[in-house]
Amino acid sequence: MSSFVTRISRPLRTAFGGRGPLGVRTLARVLTCGLVATGFGASVGLAQSAEEAPRFKPLPPPSLNFYGSAGLLDMPSGEMLPDGQFTTTLSYFGGNARYNLTFQALPWMSASFRYNSIKPQTGLMFGFETYYDRGFDVRFRLLRERRWLPAVTMGLQDFAGTGVYAAEYFVATKTFDTPAWGAGTLPGRLKLTAGLGWGRLGSHGAIGNIGGKRPSFVGGSTGGQLAYNQWFRGDFAPFGGIEWQVNERWGLKAEYSSDAYITETRAHDVFQRKSSMNFGLEYQVGPRTRLGAYYLYGSEIGVTAQIQLNPKHSPTPMMAPAPVPVVPRSDWATEPAHWSQDWAASESSRVQVRDLVAEALKPDGLILEALDVSGVSAEVRYRNNRYRSDMLAVGRVARVMARVLPPSVETFRIVPVRKGMGLSTTVLRRSDLEALEFDANSSDALLAVTGFASAGPVADSAIQSGELYPAFATSISPYAAPAYFDPAQPFRLDVGVDFAASYAPAPGWFIGATLRQRALGNVKNGRASNSRLPHVRTDQVHYAQYGRTLENLYVARSWKPGKDLYARATLGYFESMYGGISGELLWKPVSSRLALGIEGNYVVQRDFDQRLGFRDYKTFTGHGSAYYELPNGYQAQVDVGRYLAGDYGATFGVDRVFANGWSVGGFFTRTNVSAADFGEGSFDKGFRFRIPLDWMLGRPSRNAFGITVRPVQRDGGQRVAVPGRLYGQIRAAHRASLEQQGAKFWE
Amino acid sequence: MRSRFASALALVLSAGLVTGCARGPEKTPLEVEVIQAVGQKIGALRAGRQAKRPPPTRAQLDTVKVPYVEVTLENRDLLAYLSQQSVRRDGDPGEIVVWRTEDNVTLALRGGVLIATRGLGDDLLSASALVGESGSGPQSGGERRYQIRGLDNDKRSLSLACAVQDLGPEQVEIVELSYATRHLQERCEGGGGVVVNDYWVDSVSGRIWQSRQWAGPTIGYLRLRQLTL
Repeated sequence: MSSFVTRISRPLRTAFGGRGPLGVRTLARVLTCGLVATGFGASVGLAQSAEEAPRFKPLPPPSLNFYGSAGLLDMPSGEMLPDGQFTTTLSYFGGNARYNLTFQALPWMSASFRYNSIKPQTGLMFGFETYYDRGFDVRFRLLRERRWLPAVTMGLQDFAGTGVYAAEYFVATKTFDTPAWGAGTLPGRLKLTAGLGWGRLGSHGAIGNIGGKRPSFVGGSTGGQLAYNQWFRGDFAPFGGIEWQVNERWGLKAEYSSDAYITETRAHDVFQRKSSMNFGLEYQVGPRTRLGAYYLYGSEIGVTAQIQLNPKHSPTPMMAPAPVPVVPRSDWATEPAHWSQDWAASESSRVQVRDLVAEALKPDGLILEALDVSGVSAEVRYRNNRYRSDMLAVGRVARVMARVLPPSVETFRIVPVRKGMGLSTTVLRRSDLEALEFDANSSDALLAVTGFASAGPVADSAIQSGELYPAFATSISPYAAPAYFDPAQPFRLDVGVDFAASYAPAPGWFIGATLRQRALGNVKNGRASNSRLPHVRTDQVHYAQYGRTLENLYVARSWKPGKDLYARATLGYFESMYGGISGELLWKPVSSRLALGIEGNYVVQRDFDQRLGFRDYKTFTGHGSAYYELPNGYQAQVDVGRYLAGDYGATFGVDRVFANGWSVGGFFTRTNVSAADFGEGSFDKGFRFRIPLDWMLGRPSRNAFGITVRPVQRDGGQRVAVPGRLYGQIRAAHRASLEQQGAKFWE
Repeated sequence: MRSRFASALALVLSAGLVTGCARGPEKTPLEVEVIQAVGQKIGALRAGRQAKRPPPTRAQLDTVKVPYVEVTLENRDLLAYLSQQSVRRDGDPGEIVVWRTEDNVTLALRGGVLIATRGLGDDLLSASALVGESGSGPQSGGERRYQIRGLDNDKRSLSLACAVQDLGPEQVEIVELSYATRHLQERCEGGGGVVVNDYWVDSVSGRIWQSRQWAGPTIGYLRLRQLTL
């Protein structure tokens, strides 16, 4: 046999493109290309031929306009993007550059963030050679496209902030299929769009007026407040256009623009507006990327790059190495003696069983914390550093238990552990595992007989892992720390290396430290603070003067004071700007969608050199928090309390969290600091997103690229960043999340 | 001597700094994982350049005393050889055999009918099979249910209406050996498409020598051949 394996496995390896699990990934990447191609075919509205196999049809994504919304060139259309779509658009024409992010948060609502620059050919604009601004848009679908009805959307463009692009509109789009252009090509689509705009979109060719003169835009003001007294006020004008997607690659666009570009062409010399007609040609480079070239306003050449991601369509499907099948005990425990429970009485047998379990968990990257085993039941506590899906890890642990535990053990209790805290208990019967693995509906069938309970304290009879504590871990990793939106230079970056070490003397105890060495960067050239409040966050430039720093150094203790209670106490240097003492208590029953928490911190501002010293500023900051898991993956959070600058108020946040770990959300904080004292932006707000590494690479990982963007970083409504806040560590291992991931159990 | 040691140490250290590393029972930092993944991708590209080996001959197969199947992924004409990992029965008709590649991809077949894949991405999570208590291949028409992974870690259910047709005797050749088989075709409609599974069943023993079966929208069709018993 061995000769066969060596001979035969070579072509196998070659065919799969490499050795070990790597080959599978290569193979699957190849497979994905297949799906992508199919998906694209569907995206131009192909009718399926009768003999084709079923497939998951992605909805056709509309092309995007210069503002990053579904639309023509400079004008929007009535279309919505597919649910969950996350797009990035870069556009430029005649001194106007726009960088847009759009998220289709709900099937009927999208939100955009934009960072733009306007550069006059001569002179200054609002006192700047290049004027930078930020803005938010929202769009609501009023009508879904039907056979005889167009899609209708209402949009509010640049509705907060300083409003250089402020406009409101109603727009309708109707789609028609067009015959294929030449033999062997696919049919095309024609989209007709017509709308009515106010504000900027009502500034050229107005046909009417509502409410007299519209309050005008003032460059450089504080901004940030909703400009609802402007909405749908003043002149309104029609706009419209046509898009012809000739085939799956090429698209032609033409539009009539109702934007007079008054600020850019009359008040400042940005470009010349000689015509209202704009024309463009777009090319779909890949399944996610579209490029366009345009001729605008009779004088300017423009370009766009549109990148559309959808959390539901991973570039590479997640692949975990196949699990080991469950072998029913009836196949191997054939004699009555095999089923005896006598072994359980012996301490050494139980230790032996623990070692078997620990060893069997290792190939899956799972770490045994403790095993409590009796003749008929067993509880495994384990740490999962590899799989994002806690249910997948639960499934792997269950398989290991079925493989190595003596036949008499029938009840499995599976407890994921993080920072020494048991997060939940999944209760299973071994016979169900054996009976259902190959059931036609294996995941639903298993979920129906699975119980979820809170994790109790570690039993006295449990045997701790012999090799885990005291646990010592180190890492050396590069880091990148960006700084955004300085008008002098919108993007700055520091890069360097983090040296991190941690020591866990016993379950629940954690001592962590990170040293940071900057290699190069320019964050230190940023602008100084002009804040009227205590400089709790705006002294970033002072902190960035130092290249070799102690990023954090702290002792933390996590424990469960009660059945549904989780607690944390942390002492030390939490982050680059603050150190102190912090305590947190969280109530979260396993099956509850609601969680309540309370946190108190006494913090001292750290010295700019970020070594061991402190500055004079000391404060108490703390919050009461409520977290709620809404249906369909929406997570809501409200925090009420005292912020770092001593201001009182509340933070509201909503995130859409996808089952694969993608998350996109926004937040805002209102406190008793006045808009004038707060400064630019009037109050703290921002958005955040997280793209899982495993989603991008198709291999198991718990890491993600995450970013929180604030249009302006000020001192009002700021919180301290304490490592190891409780809720985020606990939620994913609770019932709602485990059930959502139910099908991962057998993977 | 000392300076050579120092420069070697500096080299090791700087290599560590550029690529990053992590030890111990805590989560690996993101940047380190990214660098590792990129490194593996480069390795995979290099390995992909190796020349293809010739297929096995019957003389080689004759030396093998355990069952093997050859599986082709039609999407890209990729080939793998799978050994038998487990054989069992459960409450439903048909013997279940799990086949495994060396790099941890598995296929589960019930009575020769594909009911699950693992490790391919967007896997076939589970499926029903219209097989009998003994023998192999679909015994009758009826409903087949597929659970397929796809879209946001979701499980997609697909219910297909299947009819089985006997296309008559066919001679099948597998690596220099010829078998007398009957060609059974299972044609299933539903989910906005058609799935056609083909089985070549030994006229005497009822064993499936060869089949072509669908494993979901991403994976597509697999071709299986029984190389050794």
